[in-house]
Amino acid sequence: MPDTRAPKRRFTLRDLTWTWTPRSAREAGDAVVRNFYLHWFPSKVNKRSVAATYSFWLGTISAVLFLLLTLTGVVLMFLYVPSVERAYGSIKDLEYAVSFGAFLRAVHRIAAHLMVAVVFLHMVRVFLTSAYKNGVMANQNRPLNWYLGLVLLLLTLLLSFTGYLLPWDQLAYWAITVGTNIARAVPLVGEETRFLLLGGHEINQSTLIRFYVLHCVFLPLILTLIFIWHMWRIHKDGGLASHDQAALKAKAEPDEAASAKTYTLMGVSGGTTAAVQSALVQEDRHLVQSVPNLVVRLLAVGLLTLAVAGVLAVWLGAPLEEAANPEVTPNPAKAPWYFLWLQELVTITTVRIGGWTLNGALMGGVLIPGLLLLWAFLVPTLDRTGPATVAVWFHSRRRTANAVFLLICLALVVLTVVATFMRGPFWDFYWPWEQWPSHPSRF
Amino acid sequence: MFSKDRPLLWAFSFLALAVCAWVIWSDAHPAYSDYQAQFRALIEERFGPERALATPVGLRQVWVESAGRVDRCTSCHLGLTWEGLGDAPQPFASHPADYLETHPVEEFGCTACHGGQGFATRLPEAHGWVEHWGDPLLDSKLGQDYRMQDEWAFLEIKCNTCHRYQRQTEGAEHINRGKQLVRDKGCRACHVINKRGGSIGPDLTYVGDKPPENYDYSRLTTIPSFFSWQVAHLQKPKSYSPDTVMPDFGFNTEEARSIGLLLMSWRDLDLPLAMYPGGVIRDIPTEEELERERMMREGEGRFFVENTCFICHDVSSLGVESATKIGPDLALAVEDAPKRFGRTLESFLLNPTGTMQVVLSKQIELSRQERLEAVRLLEIAYEKYKAQQAQEQAAEN
Repeated sequence: MPDTRAPKRRFTLRDLTWTWTPRSAREAGDAVVRNFYLHWFPSKVNKRSVAATYSFWLGTISAVLFLLLTLTGVVLMFLYVPSVERAYGSIKDLEYAVSFGAFLRAVHRIAAHLMVAVVFLHMVRVFLTSAYKNGVMANQNRPLNWYLGLVLLLLTLLLSFTGYLLPWDQLAYWAITVGTNIARAVPLVGEETRFLLLGGHEINQSTLIRFYVLHCVFLPLILTLIFIWHMWRIHKDGGLASHDQAALKAKAEPDEAASAKTYTLMGVSGGTTAAVQSALVQEDRHLVQSVPNLVVRLLAVGLLTLAVAGVLAVWLGAPLEEAANPEVTPNPAKAPWYFLWLQELVTITTVRIGGWTLNGALMGGVLIPGLLLLWAFLVPTLDRTGPATVAVWFHSRRRTANAVFLLICLALVVLTVVATFMRGPFWDFYWPWEQWPSHPSRF
Repeated sequence: MFSKDRPLLWAFSFLALAVCAWVIWSDAHPAYSDYQAQFRALIEERFGPERALATPVGLRQVWVESAGRVDRCTSCHLGLTWEGLGDAPQPFASHPADYLETHPVEEFGCTACHGGQGFATRLPEAHGWVEHWGDPLLDSKLGQDYRMQDEWAFLEIKCNTCHRYQRQTEGAEHINRGKQLVRDKGCRACHVINKRGGSIGPDLTYVGDKPPENYDYSRLTTIPSFFSWQVAHLQKPKSYSPDTVMPDFGFNTEEARSIGLLLMSWRDLDLPLAMYPGGVIRDIPTEEELERERMMREGEGRFFVENTCFICHDVSSLGVESATKIGPDLALAVEDAPKRFGRTLESFLLNPTGTMQVVLSKQIELSRQERLEAVRLLEIAYEKYKAQQAQEQAAEN
């Protein structure tokens, strides 16, 4: 009979939180799979894929922000009334009378802005490391995850845009007016798309309720589903692209004494090919246990994201202008900041030479962004540098692609900054140190 | 590689905790709680600790359901209905009682009469002197800024939001003077006011709602505001609006300001009917006014009314009276035209020169037929005028 009695130990504080500790790597791996909260983590991960300098954890930060937005958003739904008569008042009540209302709203707003920025940066990271490509493991389909990522970026923009209207103040009303007017320039379907989105020819109650339902139900639901798909693809692709790079490197290194051979769970589930398997076996020294290494970092990144969003919310608050008034157009009327590069592009591509006019709304508002989006979707197809460049920042063989991409990003940033800070009344250009003409008041 | 993780986790945890702590602390210490503590001390000092127990704690508001308004002013202005706090410092002073009797706080709230942002619970947002709030508190500070003789004059704007259809409102002296001037100068000849009037000038029924951005402030030497522009424009219309045909009525500053206050009060604020005195939401003209209007419209001189000549000219013998009297009395036109222009009236009207050339080509369009009709009528008017003169002379003798 084997001894089934548990070894006697003294009770420690640690026993309050940890009732069981694995005694081997295998037990630890098992524990991860068996635990509901941990089961979506692999038992071991490649060191580089948890390194801050490889991914900057941008995808995780986006996900944490989305979680934060969902939680604050659901609470806000208890307090917000989506009617043109009461929407503005309910936001004013949030600001002044509801416990933590102003903070909730400010967190929701700042998290939304951060999410737009972080999701975009996440895409920049994936491009610059060409992590949208298949590496050396079997059954990979990373291009699909790039497409899903682009859809997630577009959904994030749409979510932010639909949320922008809800306060029903002048800022909201006119930003959505400017934003949806750009859609008009799309040939053939532009006017109809705008009509469908607004529920009419102008922004009113039917627009508000449409944006509200899209913002609170449809778009978050679709985003959640595609987010799950996005995560699932990462599993099926064998983890972050840095795993492939590690495998490639390991293949090139001389074999060491095979004393610590273990099949990783990931290697088994991914169905790696025989050719790669020997490399994967050697890979162990590039791996660490997910629990606690990955989990601790995940917690730290999550907490930092929450704390930063909280600090920014307390510091910046959320703006609320006068109640929406279709009769009074603010000067200048600006789209939300992440669409301001479009508005700026529309302005600078509107060129009049004599009697000939270049339609800026079509050129800058539709054709250029349309081509950019098309190009983004073609990126995995256009890249012919092979698996060697996967997960390498600024690989020398991708110099041209990276340069073009960075130039486009720079142009977007410059256009956004100019439109945000240097465009005054009548869309005239003002340097940041120049005073705008003063805003007259009633008294 | 992982050695710094746990210290960082701790650091970030504390940061997140600190944010939570700050948010909870600031939510538990709203601006009004300080005022409420001070008020309690004041009551204790003046009326004893027992009555101090009755002082309010927490957010207070007046919810005027019919107007869809919520006024949280009472969170800090705690002494409004207390007797014996007339001399207390703000925000604790009691409200001058006679106004509250006719305008109960529960039915009117605060901002309907005072302006300000009822939603807000801290300064300066609550007083509305912030960006993006178009209806600020109209207190004596504003009167001082504009160097008004009566520092509280601006408050009358709020009175007239509901009292606009009254001819006279007790206590609103500036507004009353403005209304008198509007009647005396016949502003309705050109402007629609309270949905009645002429169409030469812009409709003024809700002029107070016009966005201040629509006006050019470059020539103003005072505070560049909508109010300043209205006052300056009333005194010298052509200087602030070069294309205008509005005459200079020679208003002095006080008069122009009274009309300015009146203009600022003409807003469409969507208030419940019950707030308007007597539930009346239209102008009720006097019998005399109706009779004069009927005479003008249907009398012998109706041609000159229909064709808007009466805006500048009397035709005294036909009972047409101009409020502005910018031009000469047309009853004398037959003898006046040769004196002024060296031509007969007919020749002048068919080929006018000077001001009339501008007016008859831009503001008033008359066919040749109509011009000859005017000459015919003016000849009758002249005959009548002479007959009236003779009669008067006879009466004197």
